[in-house]
Amino acid sequence: MSTTTGTRVRTQTSFSLWANRHRKWVLAAPAMVFVALLIAFPLGWTLYLSLTDASGSIRAPHDFIGLENYFDVLSDTDRFWPAVGRTAFFTVGAMVVEMILGMLIALLLWRPFRGQGLVRIIILLPLVATPVAVGMMWRLIFEPTIGFANQFLSWFGIPAQPWLAGEATALPTLMFVDIWQWTPMVVLILLAGLTSLSDEPDEAARVDGANAWQRFWHVTFPLVMPTFITAVLLRGIDALKTFDILYATKGKGGGSFHEVETLNVYAYGLSFDYQKYGESSTVLVIFFLMIIGCIWLLTIRRKKSSL
Amino acid sequence: MKHRSIKVVTAAVAVTVLTGGLLAGCTTAEGEEGGKQTLRVTLANHVWTDIVKDKISDFEADHEGVTVEVTQLGEDQLSDQYNVKLNAGTDEIDVMMYRPLQEGKLFAQNGYLADLSDYVTRDAAWDWNDFQEGPVEATTYEGSVVGVPIITEQQVLYYRTDVLEKLGIAVPKTLDELEAAAKQIKEQGEIAGYVGRTGVSAAVTQWSSFLFSEGGDFANKDYTKATLDTPAAKEAYELYGRLIGQYGPANVSTDMSWPDAAALFAQGQVAFYSDASSLYQNLALEENSTVWDKVGYAPFPAGPAGSVPYNVPSWALGINNDSNKKDLAFDFVEWLTSPELTLEVQEAGVPAARTSVWDNPAGTASFPPQLAEAIAIGAKTGVGYDRPRVISVAEAREIVGAPIVVAITGGDVDAAIKKAQADFQAFLDDEND
Amino acid sequence: MTTTATSLIVTTSPLQRRRNRGRGYKAFRAIMLVLVALTFLAPVVWMVLSSFKTNVDIYNSEAAFIFTPTLKNYDTVFGQADYVQYIWNSFFVAAVATLLSLLLAVPAAYSMSRFVMKKSAVLVLLARVIPGVSLLVPWYFVFSNLRIVGTYTPLVLSHMFVSLPLILYIMMSFFDSLPEELEEQAQVDGLTPIGAFLRITLPLSVPGIATASILSFIFSWNNFMFALVLSGASTKTLPVAIFDFVGYASIDWGGLMAAAVVVTIPIMVIALFTQKYIVSGLTAGATKG
Repeated sequence: MSTTTGTRVRTQTSFSLWANRHRKWVLAAPAMVFVALLIAFPLGWTLYLSLTDASGSIRAPHDFIGLENYFDVLSDTDRFWPAVGRTAFFTVGAMVVEMILGMLIALLLWRPFRGQGLVRIIILLPLVATPVAVGMMWRLIFEPTIGFANQFLSWFGIPAQPWLAGEATALPTLMFVDIWQWTPMVVLILLAGLTSLSDEPDEAARVDGANAWQRFWHVTFPLVMPTFITAVLLRGIDALKTFDILYATKGKGGGSFHEVETLNVYAYGLSFDYQKYGESSTVLVIFFLMIIGCIWLLTIRRKKSSL
Repeated sequence: MKHRSIKVVTAAVAVTVLTGGLLAGCTTAEGEEGGKQTLRVTLANHVWTDIVKDKISDFEADHEGVTVEVTQLGEDQLSDQYNVKLNAGTDEIDVMMYRPLQEGKLFAQNGYLADLSDYVTRDAAWDWNDFQEGPVEATTYEGSVVGVPIITEQQVLYYRTDVLEKLGIAVPKTLDELEAAAKQIKEQGEIAGYVGRTGVSAAVTQWSSFLFSEGGDFANKDYTKATLDTPAAKEAYELYGRLIGQYGPANVSTDMSWPDAAALFAQGQVAFYSDASSLYQNLALEENSTVWDKVGYAPFPAGPAGSVPYNVPSWALGINNDSNKKDLAFDFVEWLTSPELTLEVQEAGVPAARTSVWDNPAGTASFPPQLAEAIAIGAKTGVGYDRPRVISVAEAREIVGAPIVVAITGGDVDAAIKKAQADFQAFLDDEND
Repeated sequence: MTTTATSLIVTTSPLQRRRNRGRGYKAFRAIMLVLVALTFLAPVVWMVLSSFKTNVDIYNSEAAFIFTPTLKNYDTVFGQADYVQYIWNSFFVAAVATLLSLLLAVPAAYSMSRFVMKKSAVLVLLARVIPGVSLLVPWYFVFSNLRIVGTYTPLVLSHMFVSLPLILYIMMSFFDSLPEELEEQAQVDGLTPIGAFLRITLPLSVPGIATASILSFIFSWNNFMFALVLSGASTKTLPVAIFDFVGYASIDWGGLMAAAVVVTIPIMVIALFTQKYIVSGLTAGATKG
């Protein structure tokens, strides 16, 4: 072999030595730098704007007003707090139903049966479907006069409902859509948890004469609790941030009475409809802190339950 | 052994470089060198757009080296894009289709729209004076022309000819007659009497003609004092509420914009519907409507102040102030709004903003004659705006529209008006600061 | 590959316990299963049916199930609108974003798993939590100053922002479950640590990488908010193109549904064939406790 090849191998090796010695960061840093680069500027910018009265155009001159936006937003009982309430109602409501239904369906699918593969494929469909397309699909189904939903009700003699169009029914209808789309995810996660369980505790309880409900509540459920909390965590973050289906069905402002205006929709409207960038940023910062808070609470709970 | 791992590394690097190269390849913007230019045009989904889009190749043929790149979006997505892009000071947009009454003031105030005053007088044959006065006023900001109106709308009254005939009701000429007729039809029990938009923001424009015809307005002339609690405004709120709430479809939705309201009429569920003239194809074309051959058209009914519908430019073309191809951009605008192309567009059923095409019999031939007449009357008696003339229109519409929804649902209208008046006054004070 | 995959797949309980289960329960279970399947399937079927209807049939409740199917809507989608281009855009952006995210995230996941870098992982996962609205304007501002707006680059970068944390999350739990002994053995045999990762661990991770890629592809394909603002005329993706059917003075419900079908079907077909990977990816880490 010629000497040039030898040198090349040697330089490679010294690079390789260096890379291997610092492999922890050589491997991890590129991804972290990428995410940090994409997050740092927007986050800093949002924090900065939340302390200013920027409106109209971001390029227009604006003044630094300290925490005034925060006082304004936190004392706004007209739009902000109702939006917080709706976000909580939507997230908690949809999640409770998803967890209960998800648990029931997971139990139903737990033991093998003929056609299991088919059922699994079917419940996977809502999960992978494009949210905007799903929103449009439900918009047509829930259309008060021409939609299939009211036609379906009329077969059972139930009067037509306004669904997405009604002040009181819009948010529950959207929760239904969320439940339709995301219960399968909960099912799959819980199913994974259930199938990893050993059969022994269940058998022991059966020998002791426990009935199906007692076995579930006192044996199976506590055992899948960690998985259950993970599902709550994963689902909760996404439910809090729901945007696509709200935008596709009700648009900016969330309806005539702001009936589906969650924090995300409110912040979007403040930016894109009212051009109040300062206030919008404040709402986003508060929203972000709330999400972090919720996750923190849940992780603590998860750690406790896995002890 | 080491050689293998080196190979893997090399492969990984190669993939990165390749993909990077691929991206970079796509990254290089269309070449501007060699006299080649790309004109970036953003247009809304509209019949108008569909018609002119097919003709753009003619423009490209006339201007060698020019490529026109059209982005087409729904109206909400369009304004979202403008909000992000113009805010960042982009020059990626040259010509933009915008809504003068909705965003015009905001865009002009933010300096997004180029001053076209010198351009519009450039070519006498193109004839800027041919454009209707109301629309031109809406595309003028502080004395400068910032847009060229392309599409106009007037509020008209759609009705079911068969229903009116059967019940022996004459076509209503006044708002009182309209209410009596709607009441009579509703009491007959077969179909509902009247429908209109009910969504808080959507309804404001279609309620404005009621407000004007009752003799009211959103605010005083210089927009310093809100006038939503005047007797005229109160009567307009209540009348609109009665028409839809009492004589409208059962369980009426409070979230309807034109698609839902027009669908109710197109399915034959309601006898009267008042909305923009530009919507008639949703009602009168066989492919969209079950009552397409039973649609009648009338001018907006008169109130105490006469028949005063809105007559507005719903869309205009502007040029991005940060565009570096303003001359070419205006060439394109001029071409799009030429008398010939305008006539062609209007013949396809899109009401235009040029006086000459309305005077030309060919310009109105494609419209149902009754509709053409209603539009002509509306254009004469109407006013040039259908929503508050403020900067933050979206917010103002939500304030003004709140009592409409309350009136429809039969709530406490007086309280709602009181609140709207106070809110709107605060809003104006804030904006006039 | 399939054999390694099975170890990752959530298999149903191996024990078959049939005693104490009467016919009544079996029938009840069957009915419930059918009901569940119908609930999840029906709306999709309705969407597909509507895409074959004229607008008059969509408005007509008597034509709910019996109507003359028309291909007109698909003709609109592929004829008038530039859907072939949009499909390509969606595919290209999703594929490139997934590929680049894999290159960054897989080594990072390996390092974070082996060195238990909890805090660093949290930083990357922060990207999953931040509300997307707060990113739009700043990103656009940066991208437009870099003069790359209207190209695929900002789209790919923004989609990578979604894909990377997802892949990292899935791959971390995958590497956690992979025993370290093999790598240690390889190092005894003379491989460098990075060599051991590339030569031993990576080939074993193919099922995990497949899972992560498929999910990343699906999420990128479905993304709406970033694509709405960051895509240009020639780079528009399918979810944004759906809104073409909501015009200023008319909604073309038939066309809208056909467009929705066109967006959804490719992803559903992918899901059908890769079902097992998707399930293992979605449930990654969920059972660790």
